[in-house]
Amino acid sequence: MTTGPLDARELEAAVTHPGAGAICTFTGIVRDNSRGQSVTHLDYEAFAEMAVPQMRKIGDDIKSRWPGARVAMAHRTGHLEIGEASVVVCVSAPHREEAIAACRWGIDTLKESVPIWKKEHAADGTFWIEGHEAKPAG
Amino acid sequence: MAVAIALRVRFFARLREQAGTETVAIQVAPGSTLADVYDVLRQRHPALESDRTAVRGAINQEFAAWTAPVSDDDEVAFIPPVSGGC
Repeated sequence: MTTGPLDARELEAAVTHPGAGAICTFTGIVRDNSRGQSVTHLDYEAFAEMAVPQMRKIGDDIKSRWPGARVAMAHRTGHLEIGEASVVVCVSAPHREEAIAACRWGIDTLKESVPIWKKEHAADGTFWIEGHEAKPAG
Repeated sequence: MAVAIALRVRFFARLREQAGTETVAIQVAPGSTLADVYDVLRQRHPALESDRTAVRGAINQEFAAWTAPVSDDDEVAFIPPVSGGC
């Protein structure tokens, strides 16, 4: 968890090893539109004391579901501009099938379970995104 | 037996804005559940989300059921549906 820019190459370096034949990296990027509206920027808020253990648990679950996998993940909080990376999930594994499957499971599980929230600053107002819903922010 | 249970409560994201504060210290009756704590807080902060199905509770940084009992010195958190990632 960091308020500074994310570096996917740094996470890849953390999972690379001689037995890893594949590294799959997912990078989530701030998009300039949402719900048909233009978006100017985002703010992410986290419950860090709970989010970090949840992210570690996702890493541990990946390592038990895909033996031989190594995982690194990072999420940014605070103010993010269009085009900046909000999240990176990086998995190395002996072969590409496991690396791709584990990486996908990792980002999907992070989105469902890690207490982090996105506040969207859009042309039609400011909204908290809650799951698939956008609710007006105060 | 304690006459009251002292809790530290944290709010996040939209719930934090509704409550107008990040943390509150409250006392609740012994035997209170997470649901009871939320009801007490809604009386103090009427703007808090009234639909409890849109809120999850956590006790000491772990998600917990609404029926879970709280204990003295617990850190309780109320959490809207999450939206990390991208």
